[in-house]
Parts: sequence; C-alpha cells; structure tokens
Amino acid sequence: MSSTRSRSDSVRRERASGRIPFVCARTSVAMIRRLLALVLALICALALALTLALLPSQVRGGPSVTLEFWTISLQPFFNDYVNGLIAAYERSNPGVKVRWVDVQFAAVEQKLLAALAGGVPPDVVNLNTETTARLAERNALVDMDEAVPAQVRARYFEGLWRSGQVRGRTYALPWYVVPNVIAYNTAIYRRAGLNPSEPPQTEEEMIQHARTIKDRAKVYGFMPNLDGVRLLHRFQENGLPILSADGKRAVFNSSEHVRYLTRYVDLLKEDYFPEDTLRRGYLGATERYSAGQLGMLITGPQFLLRVKNDNPEVYAQTFVAAYPRGKGNTLHLATMTMAVPKSSRNAASAVDFALFVTNDENQLAFSKQVVVFPSTRQAAADPFFRRGGAGPEDVARKVAAADLPYARDLSVIVPNAGDLFRIFREAVESAFYGKRTPKDALDWVVRQWNARL
Amino acid sequence: MAADIRVRSDRARREANLFGLSRRQWRATITAYLFLGPALLLLGVFTFYPVAFGTVLSLFDYDVISPPRFVGLEHFRELWEDRFLWIALANSTKFLLVVPVLQALSIGLAVAVNVPLRGIRWFRAAYYLPVVTSMVVVGLMWRWLLEQDGVVNYALRTIGLMDRPIPWLGHPDLALYAVMFVTLWKGLGYYMVIYLAGLQAISPEYEEAAITDGASRWQVFRWVTLPLLRPSILLASTISAIAALKVFEEVYVMTGGGPMFRTYTMFFYIFDKGFQQLDLGYAAALAVVLAVLVMALSAANFLLFRQGGWSYY
Repeated sequence: MSSTRSRSDSVRRERASGRIPFVCARTSVAMIRRLLALVLALICALALALTLALLPSQVRGGPSVTLEFWTISLQPFFNDYVNGLIAAYERSNPGVKVRWVDVQFAAVEQKLLAALAGGVPPDVVNLNTETTARLAERNALVDMDEAVPAQVRARYFEGLWRSGQVRGRTYALPWYVVPNVIAYNTAIYRRAGLNPSEPPQTEEEMIQHARTIKDRAKVYGFMPNLDGVRLLHRFQENGLPILSADGKRAVFNSSEHVRYLTRYVDLLKEDYFPEDTLRRGYLGATERYSAGQLGMLITGPQFLLRVKNDNPEVYAQTFVAAYPRGKGNTLHLATMTMAVPKSSRNAASAVDFALFVTNDENQLAFSKQVVVFPSTRQAAADPFFRRGGAGPEDVARKVAAADLPYARDLSVIVPNAGDLFRIFREAVESAFYGKRTPKDALDWVVRQWNARL
Repeated sequence: MAADIRVRSDRARREANLFGLSRRQWRATITAYLFLGPALLLLGVFTFYPVAFGTVLSLFDYDVISPPRFVGLEHFRELWEDRFLWIALANSTKFLLVVPVLQALSIGLAVAVNVPLRGIRWFRAAYYLPVVTSMVVVGLMWRWLLEQDGVVNYALRTIGLMDRPIPWLGHPDLALYAVMFVTLWKGLGYYMVIYLAGLQAISPEYEEAAITDGASRWQVFRWVTLPLLRPSILLASTISAIAALKVFEEVYVMTGGGPMFRTYTMFFYIFDKGFQQLDLGYAAALAVVLAVLVMALSAANFLLFRQGGWSYY
C-alpha cells in the first residue's frame, strides 16, 4: 500500500517537474475525442446522403423521371443499339433517365410478376403476345387504344396492332416480328445425297428430306415445332381451325386434325425426329443445329446470330429457304410487344418512350442489326428489306420479307389459358408416347376444353 | 433501525419474486434472448411470417395484380376435383421410393468408408462433392448425360447393349425414375456423413463383444450396428422424406414436369399454379396440403423409429 502511494507520489512529482507532462492520460482522452469526431462525421455524412436520396430528384438537380426499361435477351449482342437508343431519348427529353434491364426469356414473366407484386414494376417492358394477353386479362397493363392517339396508332400495321388485343382493346405496342424460315446445313444435305440448291417447298417435301437425311447422313433431319402448344399453330397453318366461329367450342378433333397429328406421331415412332423435340423445343433444336447434328432448323431468322456465334463453321455451311406454307396459306408470326404496366408511376412518360423505341426510325435501325421486321408501315417499306445478299442472314431477311404478307400471330387466346394449354400438352404428349391414339387424344382434349370454355 | 431493515428485506423479496425470477435469473434470461434474437428475427421474417401469410393466403383469391378476394375454404373444395393435384400427389408419393434406397445405400457407403485406410478421407470428400454442388448444375449435367444423344446412351450403344438410344428423360415410364436417380446420386454423400457420424459414435466394445460371442460380420452389422444406428436413421430418413416431397429443382431443370406430367410433383405444381398461372391463393392451398402431408409423414416416421415404440426390426 505504502509502495503504491510512494509510486504515484513520484509520478506526480515527475509530472510536476515536466518530465512526464500528462502525455499518457491526455493521449487516451484525445484518442476518444478523435474517435467520437470520426463517428459523428460518419453519421453526418450518412444523414446527408439519406436526405439527398430522399429529396425529390428535381431538388437534387437530377432527372425528374427515371424509367425502368426491360428487354428480353438482347444482351450482349445489342448493347450498343439499346444504349444508343436510350442516349438519344435522354438527349431529346432532358429530365428523363432510362435504366435498362435485360431479362432472359424464361425469366421475364416471373420477374415481372415479382416486380408487380412488390410494387416496383418496370415502366416499359418487352413481352410476347401470350404474356401480354395473360397480364391484360388481369387488367395489369395500360390500354394503348386509349393512351396512343389515333394518328400515331395508324403508323403500325393494323393486324399487328391487334396482336396485343384482349376483349377488343390493345394493351401493348407491337415491336418487331419474326416469321420462321428454314436454315439448312448444306454439308449434311450433300452427305445425304440431296441437292442444297433445292430446299423443300412444302411440308411434305420437308418431311421427305428429313427422312433421307436420317437414313443416309445418320443425323436427324429436323425437329418440327410441336412442343407445348405449337401444334395449335401448325394446325392453323394447314387451314385447320382451333375454335368455332363464336370462340365457344374447341373443334380441333376433325379427321384432318387427327391425320396431321398421326403423321408426326408415326415419324417419332420411326425415329425421324428426336424425342427431346417435345421437351426442349426451339432451344434444343438450335443447340443441335449449331453442333452440326441437325439437317434443318425451323427458326426465326434472329437465331442465326446464335448459330454464327456458337459455331461459325456450321454457319458458313448454312443456306436459308422460305418456311413452307400449308393449306391455310398463312404462317405463324411471333410478335414482340412493348407494354406499360398500369402500376407504373410514370405511365405517360413510359408510353412516350415505348412509342420512341417502336417508331419507324428506331425499328428500321434495329432491323439492320438482326433479321427482324418492323411493325410500322413506313419502316417496313424501306428498300433495305428488298435488298438481297449472299450471307444466310441476308437471304433470311429476303425470304422472310416475302413471307410477311402471309404471316400473322396465330397464338390462341382463350380464357383459363394456363389450364387449357396444360391439358393440350398432356394430350399431345400422350399421343406421341403411345399412351393414347391420336384420335383419342384429340377427342379427349376437345372434351376437356369444351367443359372449360 | 429494525423497521428500516424490514422494509429493505421486503423490497429484496419483491425484487426476487418478480414473475418468480430473481434479478440474477432475469439477467440470464435476457442475455439468452439477446443471443437468440438475431436467429429468431431471421426465422420470424423468412419462415414464420411466410408460413402464416401463406396459410392466410390460401383463403383468398390472389393473382398478384388485383387485390386479394376472400373465398374461405373454396380452394380446398376445388382441390378434390383437381386431377392435376392427384397426378402431382401420385408422382410425389412415388418419389418417396427414393428414401429407403437412399438410406440403404448411404448406410452401406458409410460402413465402407468407416475403415482406417490410408487416403480414406479423399474418398469421403469425393462422395460428398455432389452435395456441395448446386442442384441446377447437377441437373444440367445429368440432363446432358441422359439425353438421347448423351454419354449414357452412347456408352450403352458402344458396348452393344441396345440399338436405339433410350429416352431416359423423354419416356413417360422412365423420366421420374431418372430424376429420382439424380436425387439419389446427389444426396448419397450427405446421408453418408450423417451415418458415418452415427457409426463413429457407437462404442467398439459392443461389436467386439458380439465377435467374441462368435457372431459373423453380417450378424454384428444386423443385430448390433444397425439397431445402434437407429437415431441416425430416424434423422436421415425424416430429412430425406421431407426433401423427396419437396423436390423441385431437379424436375425444373431436367424435365419441366413432363413428359405427360409424369414428373409433375407437388412442389412443381405449386410453382406452376402460383408463378406461371398467377393463381397464388390456390397455390397457397396446395402448399398447405403439402405441409400437412409432410408433418403427417414426419410424425409417422418418428412413431416408427421411436425408442420403445413399434419396433422397426
């Protein structure tokens, strides 16, 4: 005890003498002060940042409107085009900022639903006609007939304007369209003893070529578009109706329908197209074609870009021919649309931006990037679409342009589409896998549809 | 002075008896809850709240876009006439077949790697590798292997076992079993580790005693090891049965529910109904049915393996 006292006395004495000038004590106090100052500064900075973030953008001096723009699978091939589009719009509309989000095709519907449910919808979203109809049925999209003046509506092809229609009202602007073509591998054609300069002219010839290729070149000749509900498109292309005139009854079980389905069921049984045709659809077909394992690829010409990217060698051997028209003298035209969710906080600006993206000039510029076709009259009349060329994409553009007058969106719009399409898929697959005869399968699905329509 | 002491001791008694806990016990309880807090918060937000919300949602019509509309038990009445529910239930029930096979193989594998061999850890790690691989990656890999022109068919054709490739994922009678095989392949390592821990917790004296009594290796395994593994079997088979009823990723990646809805399981149906057809109220009702099934199955499993209860052996 006395030793402690004597030590502290000696320290006090030394401090008094100036040899230990209260440095240790002062250091810790100073450190705490510095730390406190740092924490305070951080809190102030955070508060300032939060305040700025919460202030209306006009006060901040930033854009007054930020539009979120969703596209389907355009990255990375079209980054320059879309970014250019956005920059041009922002230049001519100061105060508007566009945030671009690219979503994979398979994910777009779910991502959109999650955004709608979360109250953070995109302002402009690229959809296909089926999804447009599904959302429009639930009153989730802006009515374009109301939002777009008549003289602006007149810029679009009338038939395409109707492709986004539900109950007589249009809920999305038509963007680009892509009729199918046949891309075929000339090396496989030669191996099979077929003449590459004589592509199939009819569906029957296409089947015959597929048989020859399988028999002689030992690879599959084609993967017909029959997966999901695409058989419904094939029926219509062959002049076979789906619904009665009043739309209240399913009628796709006539002997003609049965004969058409039986033809393909037999081809699968004889192994003239692979079973994953029914499972993997056009993605599986594009992969197989890109790997040099498929004679003919029935595809939208925009997928040629994927072939070119995946396997330049196969691309170099690719010729393109027109997709054969059946008795219906029409062919399915997949239409991409541009919709604005009703819950968008900037619906008016969003419609304006969607009109900008789909105007003549921008659609023509997009069509020059990839083989797609514009939905506006003036852009489609451009001489560019009549110009030929040697490459597969040039040929595809020319043949698809020639097919455009016959093409229309053959998507079947029915209430309870999810249930009806599921039943249709089940019936068709049961015919292909021999669990039902094609007649039984179609009779059964028609009964099921009629009970629900 | 005496009065002062009495007042103070009364206060001390009151403090000590606040809800029957002393100050010290209160402090310990609060500390414990503070430690539990973060986990409880996470469970509350990500488990209890969604469960409660989903259960309530099953009484509403809700399509994400329009406001929910109360329909009472209407969805549960609809369920009885929904043929896709029965298809999905049948497929999920078939999927349960994977549980006993998976348990038997995992026990076998655990016994095989429970030997003091040089480098045995490498084997254990190798068997565990699929467990830490993403199910999507595993699904894609096996889809590629099992495709019509995939490696499996190529191998079978090369050794002359068949002329035409087998559509493992495309044939209605095979697809579910192909998906089950992948679940089994991926889960094997996980259950092996559970059984390995169980085996290593068994005292060697029991087995040594049985050997001394003249029991064969099989008899030791059958009558000593296996009964002592019962707690591990209970745990692993319960987890595995729940996982089998909730199978989704494999189906989504490999078959998409087809062909002919033969791989359309309960979880896939819930996903399809909720997120493809936007019928979230009905999907919630399906989820409630699945939850009840899972709970019933787990209870049955516990009953089956409970010590002193209905004997498994």
